[in-house]
This record gives sequence, C-alpha cells and structure tokens, in this order.
Amino acid sequence: MEHTFVLPNSGHNYDAKASKMGMWLFLYTELLLFGGLFMVYMVYRSMHPEAFLIASLNLNVWMGTINTVVLLTSSMTIAMSITALQLGNSKLSLRLLFLTIVASVIFMVIKYFEWGAKIEHGLWPGMEHFLSLSYGEKLYFYLYFFMTGLHALHIIVGAIFIIVVMNKIKNNKVNKDKYQLLENSGLYWHLVDLIWIYLFPLFYLIH
Amino acid sequence: MNNNTIDNDKSDHSVHITSYSEHFGTWISLILLTSLTVFISVYGADLNTLTVATALFIASVKALVVAYYFMHLKYDPKLYRIMILVVMALFTVFLIMLTLDYLTR
Repeated sequence: MEHTFVLPNSGHNYDAKASKMGMWLFLYTELLLFGGLFMVYMVYRSMHPEAFLIASLNLNVWMGTINTVVLLTSSMTIAMSITALQLGNSKLSLRLLFLTIVASVIFMVIKYFEWGAKIEHGLWPGMEHFLSLSYGEKLYFYLYFFMTGLHALHIIVGAIFIIVVMNKIKNNKVNKDKYQLLENSGLYWHLVDLIWIYLFPLFYLIH
Repeated sequence: MNNNTIDNDKSDHSVHITSYSEHFGTWISLILLTSLTVFISVYGADLNTLTVATALFIASVKALVVAYYFMHLKYDPKLYRIMILVVMALFTVFLIMLTLDYLTR
C-alpha cells in the first residue's frame, strides 16, 4: 500500500487569512508601543501643564496640519490601489501606490524643515537654548523628538514596504488573486496614519 | 485533488471590494474632522481644558473612521474587532494602573 501524504500547507502555499491575521497581531503590538509613549506623555503633561503649553507654542500648527492632510490623502490613495488591484487594474494600482510614495516624501520633507527649524533654534536636547529651558519644557522636547522621530521611522519603513510591493505587482507576484501583501502594506500605512492622528493634536494643537 | 484544494486556498480573500467613491467619502470626512479640530484649537483657545478633551475626542473619531473604512474592519470578520477591543481593554488597564500609581504617591 502506498501512501501519498501531502501536508495541507506544504510547498508554495498562499494563505491570505493567516497572513492578514499575522499583520494585525503585529499592528496590535505597535499600538501598545505608541500607547506606552502616550502614557508617558500623559503623566509628564499632568505634572508640568504650563511648561508643555509654552513649549507647544514653538511648533508650527500649519506645518502639522499640512502633514496631516498629506498622510490622510496617502491613506486614501493606498486604499484605492487595493480596490484597483482587486478589480484587476494593476496599472492604476501602481500609479496610486506611486502617489502614496510621493506623499510620504512630502511628509518627510516637511518634517525635515520642522526639525531643522527646531535645531536651528537650539531646541535639540543638549543644545544651548534647550539647556536653558525649564524641566517641563525639556521633557516636552524629549517626547516631541522621540515620538515624532519614531513615527517618521515608521513612515520610512512603510514607504520601503510599499516599494517592495510595487515591484511584486510589476512582476505579477502580487496580483488580482493574490493581493494580501498589498493589503498588509496598506494596513501598516493606515496604522502610521492612525498614530499621527493622535500625535498631531497632542503636540501641535493643545494650547 | 490535492492541487485543487491548494488552488482553493488562493481565493480565501475577503470578497468585499470597497468602491473608489467610498474611499473618497472617507477622505472627505477625515479632512472635515481635521479642519474642525484645527479650527477649535486655533480660534477657540480660551476654551482651554475643553479643547484638550475635544481634540482627543475628534482624534478618536478620526481613528475609528480610518480603522473602520480604510483598514476595512467594517467588512472583516468579527474576530478582528473583538481583538481590537481586547487591545484597547489592555491599554485601559495599563492606564488605570499608572494613574493609581501616580495618585497614591
């Protein structure tokens, strides 16, 4: 008697559901990572409410607003690119992903000018002006640079992820029937957007 | 036979396709909420503590819209929504423990 035993998931399998679940599990850990930082913010803010208020006036609300709009728009373009690929229009999907990359570059350029202005004013931890600030204001800038910096790192990672997916769409490895990788990159990108939705009011708008 | 079952695995995607217009509508609502929160902060600064609560409330509405429509949670199996609730509950527990710690020092 000969048995031909094949493992149900052996070989070049593709399991969209498991892939998506894995991505979501990772996103939950990301939520808790930033959640912890928000708790640190909450405690220090409640201890130094005035200092946080004064320090937040150093931030440019309009630059923050433009970046919010840029991120929201990029979230829409990547969501639409999934729709396009599901409908079998990989060309449109690629174009929409390209727009998402453009948005991420715009975001980073604005971030560069924002951070550049702060550093020019000596607000980077350890610089002369920074050292003359009150304890509470110092805490604000530590948190500002760390949290927006970690967020910007996520933008870079997300953009690289999207570029990888674009290449796979070009090679037809991600297509109408197998688009989970694109959906996962979309989920990651939306999460980055979601975190910015909280960072923006907490650092720019609260005065 | 075996080939067939493996092929079937390929199509276990969620069947729902969100339309372009629905994504555009989501974007419009997010932009409106952003304008609202900026407007309240810039022109209603004398409301003070109220602005903090409002800003966080609007941010949470925006986060919900992103998660529900862009992240497709609305059309996903219930399990994903339950898991989000578990994460939120966990975060709330951390928050309560931290607050108790600071209040009793």
